[in-house]
Amino acid sequence: MSDQTITAHPPSSAKPARRPVKGIWRQGWQRFARSRTGMLGLILVLLVVATAVVGPFVAPFDPQDQSPMIDPGAKAPPSWVHPLGTDRMGYDVASRVIYGAPTALAVGLGAMSIASLIGVLVGGFAGYRGGTTDEVLMRFTDFFLVIPMFVVILAVIRLLGVAVVNTPFESVPYLNLGVIILLIGVFSWAPIARMTRAEFLRLKNQEFVEAARCIGATSGDILFRHILPNALPSLVVIVALGIGGAVLAEAMIGFLGFGDPAAVSWGQLLYFNYEALKVAPWASLSPGVAIFITVLGFNLLADGLTDAFNPRAKR
Amino acid sequence: MRIFVFLTRRMIFAALLMLGVSAAIFFLVNSIGNPIELMMAETPGMTGEVIDRMKAYYGLDHPPMTRYLLWLSRIAQLDFGTSIVYNQPVGSLIVTWGWQTLKIQLPAILIALAIAILFGVTAARRQHSRSDFAVMATALLGQSLPAFFLGILLIFIFSYSLDWLPSYGAYSTRNPLWGSPTLDALWHMVLPVAMLTFFNTATLTLLMRSNMVDVLKSDFIAAMRASGIPERRVIYVHALRAAFIPMLTYLGLLIGLMLGTAPVTESVFTWPGLGYLYISAIHQLDYPVIMGASAVIAFMLICTTLLTDVIYVLIDPRISLE
Amino acid sequence: MSSLATAKPTAAMSIDDRSMLTPPVHDLVRVENLRIQFPPWNAPVRIIEDVSFQVRAGETMGIVGESGSGKTLSSLAILNLLPPPARITGGRIMFDGEDLAAKSQGEMQKLRGRRLAMVFQNPGYSLNPLMTVGAQLGEILKVHEKMPRSMALQRVEELFRLVGITDPGSRLSQYPHEMSGGMKQRVCIARALLCNPALVLADEPTTALDVTIQAQILDLFEDLKARFGMSMIFVTHDMGVVARIADRITVMYAGQVCETGDKHAIFARPSHPYTQALLASTPRIDRRYAIDGEGRRERLPTVGRAVAPGQSLGGGCRFAGRCPEAAPECSRLVPQAAAIEPGRVVHCLKRGSAGVASHD
Repeated sequence: MSDQTITAHPPSSAKPARRPVKGIWRQGWQRFARSRTGMLGLILVLLVVATAVVGPFVAPFDPQDQSPMIDPGAKAPPSWVHPLGTDRMGYDVASRVIYGAPTALAVGLGAMSIASLIGVLVGGFAGYRGGTTDEVLMRFTDFFLVIPMFVVILAVIRLLGVAVVNTPFESVPYLNLGVIILLIGVFSWAPIARMTRAEFLRLKNQEFVEAARCIGATSGDILFRHILPNALPSLVVIVALGIGGAVLAEAMIGFLGFGDPAAVSWGQLLYFNYEALKVAPWASLSPGVAIFITVLGFNLLADGLTDAFNPRAKR
Repeated sequence: MRIFVFLTRRMIFAALLMLGVSAAIFFLVNSIGNPIELMMAETPGMTGEVIDRMKAYYGLDHPPMTRYLLWLSRIAQLDFGTSIVYNQPVGSLIVTWGWQTLKIQLPAILIALAIAILFGVTAARRQHSRSDFAVMATALLGQSLPAFFLGILLIFIFSYSLDWLPSYGAYSTRNPLWGSPTLDALWHMVLPVAMLTFFNTATLTLLMRSNMVDVLKSDFIAAMRASGIPERRVIYVHALRAAFIPMLTYLGLLIGLMLGTAPVTESVFTWPGLGYLYISAIHQLDYPVIMGASAVIAFMLICTTLLTDVIYVLIDPRISLE
Repeated sequence: MSSLATAKPTAAMSIDDRSMLTPPVHDLVRVENLRIQFPPWNAPVRIIEDVSFQVRAGETMGIVGESGSGKTLSSLAILNLLPPPARITGGRIMFDGEDLAAKSQGEMQKLRGRRLAMVFQNPGYSLNPLMTVGAQLGEILKVHEKMPRSMALQRVEELFRLVGITDPGSRLSQYPHEMSGGMKQRVCIARALLCNPALVLADEPTTALDVTIQAQILDLFEDLKARFGMSMIFVTHDMGVVARIADRITVMYAGQVCETGDKHAIFARPSHPYTQALLASTPRIDRRYAIDGEGRRERLPTVGRAVAPGQSLGGGCRFAGRCPEAAPECSRLVPQAAAIEPGRVVHCLKRGSAGVASHD
């Protein structure tokens, strides 16, 4: 607040030039660029994205290549050939960490797409309609907030693993990973729905919406052209946080040994190598650091987005 | 009097919620297949006849709806059935293992709260200062450090590298530390509690700070200062109380999160708690334990929410009881 | 009861013969060349620049100015309660012969609420929402007068009656959200008067209220002033309100004093161009004004040209950018106090003030 009031404008003799009208996104970006945490988050996220996109082309070893088992042997400490050493099963740790990035991003983006879709629909409908619809939908949302999602997901994954044996589903590629993504999504929409509802409630009675209604805009117009775009900035923050949360949830599932055996995931790397933490710490710590960087990146990004779109929420 | 009406209403709602959550868990798990059939699928050499007998023994030979009602009526009488793996009543398993979970989670939340208040208030009073920045940065980092990975780091540093603290279990199997089972148990608690505390502290501190910053800017705090109330009282009694209220909701969520992720955190330390019991039950497809433990975890979550609501009413006069 | 009636002992009268501007009357408060700055401290941007005014014992000083003119900051500075990071970087605040600006927070805490008290703008926000009003006000008595609870509550109830709260006994156990805005402001006024202070600072105490309630609260202030005999600094942007409540007026613009003087003199013969513009822009019921220049009706005069807020904090007279009489030197030289009548001071180069180039 103090910044604004005391910044001395250079005295200009000409009449003040009219500043171009800036959209909510451009203004947001300018504030975001000034947020140190936000920029650091963006850099970390871009790092993870770059690893996911470029990584598979530059990774020294194939993720399924167990040949290092013979040459430096399993649990070999970092060397020039294996910058992060080899793990318990003779894989090159660096390559597996790199190949874990696309998996993590697929989980984060996939789960949050599902969660956003459900959350915005439920929350938007509740907030826009209000009344009994709102009451019923919000109780439904409360219900999803208290379900111990982790506990349910583990049980479902485990039982599903048994149930698909000898069925056509067995050959579906990445079935387990798909189900994990779906379940994380299905169990993480409640906060998004709450936020959407709050935003819709706030916006639907504002004057510009009233004005749109007065000039005869349809409900669809009002919802998608007037309310939703204005609710997006707040939603972007919570979705960014959610991506980090989904990556973390998948890592925990993998760490407990319920991950997809066909996919390379950081959580699973931890699961396979945790027993050897004492002898080959690099094999456990490297994927752990990768999870940390990814979650940190998305959390900082969300922090910067809060600075950008909702500066009053902090300070 | 109104408080009792309010309490009853909240409790009825909690009971309905519990009913819904248990149904969701039950049908989600059962929709995949008959648990006994799935379990036996992994055991070689099981004949159809044995499976049928097993189903009858565990009451799983009815259609799902009947089974759910049966299971519910038993749970209402606190009968969770018998563990297939342990061959013990699930109820007593949950009590023994659940106690171990509370033993690390309760201290973790209390210590975290104390630290969060101390650092959050200090940072808020010196907003934008170097110490504020240090608190914020540490908390932001801590918030993103997954609890289980932190646990792994703690074990690596304090057990494997320094050899100061035990890396697994709740007590030594043979020689208790210093010949005292109590000290031995406390010694084993240090790392798990440290991990959970760190996990809780980060977010609580950030929240405490931002709430406190808001409250300290409010007119009533200025008015109290202008009335000559000593600064210490203004901050630690009046402002703290006001800043604490919005934290309650989050505190409830945090306890829920901690309970919900107990399977992971307890696996890191091989801690014999509810989460660990749950994980081993899932690995071994111990169906009665899976159902019982998940119901109890859900029950504890719902109780936390209920408790949060009640505390709100008790400390915030603005909330009407309607 | 008894302590309410006893008059406060007055400090020894100080005769300041150096100053030709202040008449030899006892000043309870003398703000002298007060400066308030926000960081960075080396930048020449001062939110309050060389503000001086005096409040005599038993009188009401009205401080008038538009929002952002620094009236609220000046009154918070008297309590030594500037919101960080703002700081007093110069000048003195003499109260009863002591410099408040030089006092420690501990010493100030003993004065606040007891000798100095404040009524805030928004009664809705200035009471602790989590405590009953009885408990909040009782706590102040407990701190300052070491009163036991029951006695403190009795005293609070007595003051509630004095400020016109109906059924004061049962109000004690009410929470602020159970009261109307006007009632809350009465509670705030009672809070300010609890320890029979020598000076009450009222920061726009009627602005947040309905017009009818405003009138009641102003009546109450007048009544209480007569009854308690305290001095008052009444901060407002409303010329109508000062006309009613103040004895003397200080007009401020962007952190500088424009003029100070007796209420009647200022309303009759406004000297500073800003005061003149301000008074001229007050609508009068006996005139008809044109909306956007239609017809032959007269236009409501306004204070000319809005200026970017930052620019007006530069050197020189800060009103220069909007002043119809501004000369080139006005934006360079800071006008000093000039006595134009007994007890009347104006800061304007065009009214005989000396100009000083820089204040560093």
